[in-house]
Amino acid sequence: MPGTPDYGPRGVMLRRLLNVAAVIALVVVLFFVQSSGSVKLGQVFALFAIWGIATVSLNLINGVTGILSLGHHGFMLIGGYVTGLLMLPESARENLSFSARNSLSDLAIGLSVERWMNALGLDFLATPETIGVRFVIAALLGGLLAAVFGLIVGFPSLRLRGDYLAVVTFAFGEVIRLLASTPLMASYTNGALGFAGVPSQFGKSVWWTFGALALTVFVFARLKKGSYGRALQSIREDEIAAEAMGVNIAYHKVLAFIISAFFAGVAGGLWVSWVGTARLDLFLFTLTFYFLVAISVGGTGSITGALIGTVLVVWVRQYGDPLEQAYPLSTWLIAAGAVLVVAAALGWLYRRNRRLRPVANPFVIGAAVVGVLAALLALSGLLDAQLASRWQGFGMRAIALSVLLVVIMIFKPAGIMGRREFQWTWLLKDRKDVPTEEERRQDAWLHRGGDATAGSGAEE
Amino acid sequence: MSVRADSGRGASAGGRSALRRVAPWLVGAAVLGLIAWRMVYLHSVNQNFNAAFFAGAAVRSLQLGSLYALIALGYTMVYGIIRLINFAHGEVFMVGAFAAFFLFSGTPYSWPVALLVAAVVAYGFMHFLGFFRVLGRPIVLGAALVAFVAVAVALASVRFGWLGAMVGSMFVTGVLGMTIDRVAYKPLRGAPRNSMLITAIAVSFFLQNFGILAFTNRQTPFRPPSFFTGGLTFQVGGETVFATWMIVLVPAVTLLLVAVLTTLVTRTRLGRAMRATSQDAETARMMGVDVDRVIASTFLLGSMLAAAAAVMWGMSFGSINQPAIFGILPGIKAFAAAVIGGIGSLPGAVIGGLLLGFLENFLTALFPRVGDFTGITEYKDTFAFLAMILILLLRPSGIVGEDLSEKV
Repeated sequence: MPGTPDYGPRGVMLRRLLNVAAVIALVVVLFFVQSSGSVKLGQVFALFAIWGIATVSLNLINGVTGILSLGHHGFMLIGGYVTGLLMLPESARENLSFSARNSLSDLAIGLSVERWMNALGLDFLATPETIGVRFVIAALLGGLLAAVFGLIVGFPSLRLRGDYLAVVTFAFGEVIRLLASTPLMASYTNGALGFAGVPSQFGKSVWWTFGALALTVFVFARLKKGSYGRALQSIREDEIAAEAMGVNIAYHKVLAFIISAFFAGVAGGLWVSWVGTARLDLFLFTLTFYFLVAISVGGTGSITGALIGTVLVVWVRQYGDPLEQAYPLSTWLIAAGAVLVVAAALGWLYRRNRRLRPVANPFVIGAAVVGVLAALLALSGLLDAQLASRWQGFGMRAIALSVLLVVIMIFKPAGIMGRREFQWTWLLKDRKDVPTEEERRQDAWLHRGGDATAGSGAEE
Repeated sequence: MSVRADSGRGASAGGRSALRRVAPWLVGAAVLGLIAWRMVYLHSVNQNFNAAFFAGAAVRSLQLGSLYALIALGYTMVYGIIRLINFAHGEVFMVGAFAAFFLFSGTPYSWPVALLVAAVVAYGFMHFLGFFRVLGRPIVLGAALVAFVAVAVALASVRFGWLGAMVGSMFVTGVLGMTIDRVAYKPLRGAPRNSMLITAIAVSFFLQNFGILAFTNRQTPFRPPSFFTGGLTFQVGGETVFATWMIVLVPAVTLLLVAVLTTLVTRTRLGRAMRATSQDAETARMMGVDVDRVIASTFLLGSMLAAAAAVMWGMSFGSINQPAIFGILPGIKAFAAAVIGGIGSLPGAVIGGLLLGFLENFLTALFPRVGDFTGITEYKDTFAFLAMILILLLRPSGIVGEDLSEKV
């Protein structure tokens, strides 16, 4: 099987050892993060894990199956609100209403895992000590409801292709949010105000979130390697051919949506727990956009890539606030000039390497000239009175990410990883007894006609 | 585009049975009958729901529908030519509104920002003039310099009326649309459609946040001094309908712009090139059509229509939302309108837009708050999407369009 690493007889053992070592290393790192005393660091790690779950699950639709789905924040909203409502402590339940119109209905107040456990006679599951079990139940129920909606959203995918489907999923994400604030649903969601007081020890704990992430990665890695994932990939490559080969397109597409929505729902539950509040503005399209950036940068269809991309996105989100602080206008002008000049330089390099003529097209010249002029204006001291005023860079993080996404789409559409996954062979490339993919291909070419597999180590 | 729709209909008309031919009329008559019945019933329940009430809803529907139609035209033109859902179109609409706001209120532009904006606009103008090969380079550069000075002075000192602001913001968004195409979409010609779509989403996201950065973070009042925002009353069935002159202005301007656009597409060289490109870009290129220029002009025209819609939108409602969200709902609804009408078809976009306007305004008037029933006003934002999904599932080609969805 091309792409499957050939570890050789000794390599299998080594790979297992390395896997165990990696898990231990991760646990040690998490332990240090937890015990470092830095609240922010722990939250960043937890957020990485939560968004990682969502990104990996979105990757199943967007990357592996090749369907552009833009409604992931809708699934997360469902999972998040269900989890939040089910986990809301008794004290916060009754006095939630902010106005007569926005009060939870009696039915919604009764939606509590704690009450259910009491009603079922499982009193030991309703104690403060076992809140973890109740959270697992709530998150799973949230995931299940999200999966039901995944089924509903998956159905149009049978009739619609490509961009139409993207718009339908986008519309789903928007409609869900609009519906959640209507009077009909406000008795469950408390309208636009949402509800505070969701227990936050789960979303903020690295153990819970990384446990969930590890489970997610395990499930999706197995899915991708198994026959099911290969069927999905065949749909991505060529739907007609896949159908001709006997892949049940409808079943696989809808199931991809269901699985993806389930994990998105769980991620939504953790996300609400991370924030401690279920609010509608937690589930904007921005969220899906972040995941989309992570997938595109990391590599469409690669779980490793999705995680790499999530690292980048979470890093920009959590540590990018210097970008959004107030600086004098002259600083901004110099920065804008520098960006334009760098863009011009990159464009010039790109055109030179691609042998495009003219190398310095009007675009490159224009960007460079405007950039230099802007910087000169700021440095010349001509307009110091106006330029000294401070200007806050609201939205700069999102701007940086969207520019990055455009650049990635133009210059490296496959992302960093492409469709490859992390393999230990990358670290073992220099071992003589493990030929690289390239070497094996060359060997096969050299020995074609004769023994095509010569030199490729032991067959599995 | 328009011609495609005609040829498609002509080809399939012969094979239609008589039933299929009259079915649309029957459905239309049935819907009208139901509406009339519902109106009579409501009137019998409550005397407030009289002819004037429904007439007011109808004119407001026409007003909103015209705005949707203008935005939808931009979507449908771009989709017809490069098969791309230009997600950034809603944000172009947003930029148009804010550009007009700054033009007529003249407030926050300090000189450096004015110079920067003027440089960008002048550069775009130069790019646009470059389309006309007869103009020599000195003329283009000179015109760009004049534009630079004019825009900088205008931004920093002149206060425009609403019409001047509308024309100015149409100019700004036209340049913006072309720039988006040049920077983000042109390098991706021939790339997978998902890549183009993701890029479009990224551009839309960029513009939303750029709006927060450059314009404001708040809801902004939008009240240019104008005769048309004044009150207008008229009598229907002995009762008075209260409205503003916008109910006249919006459909009139829309009609004018659509007429100009139709003339442009059907009568001019550029229009012929656009139709040729939308039918088969490769062949058009072989026949000597400069496809890139045609695509850029499509973005120019669509974005200008969006700015016109944005100015009238702001005048109609008296305020514009914060930049991060202002473009999303009108944009995606107008896209829904384009799909309902039949994407790629100009008349389809107008019909879809008007239909959506009536769906949002008139339907909510047909189901008002009566007794225990709380009305459906709160849900009206979802109608567009439900209608779009229904159309996509039942008749993917839209009301008048030809099926452009991916074929085997």
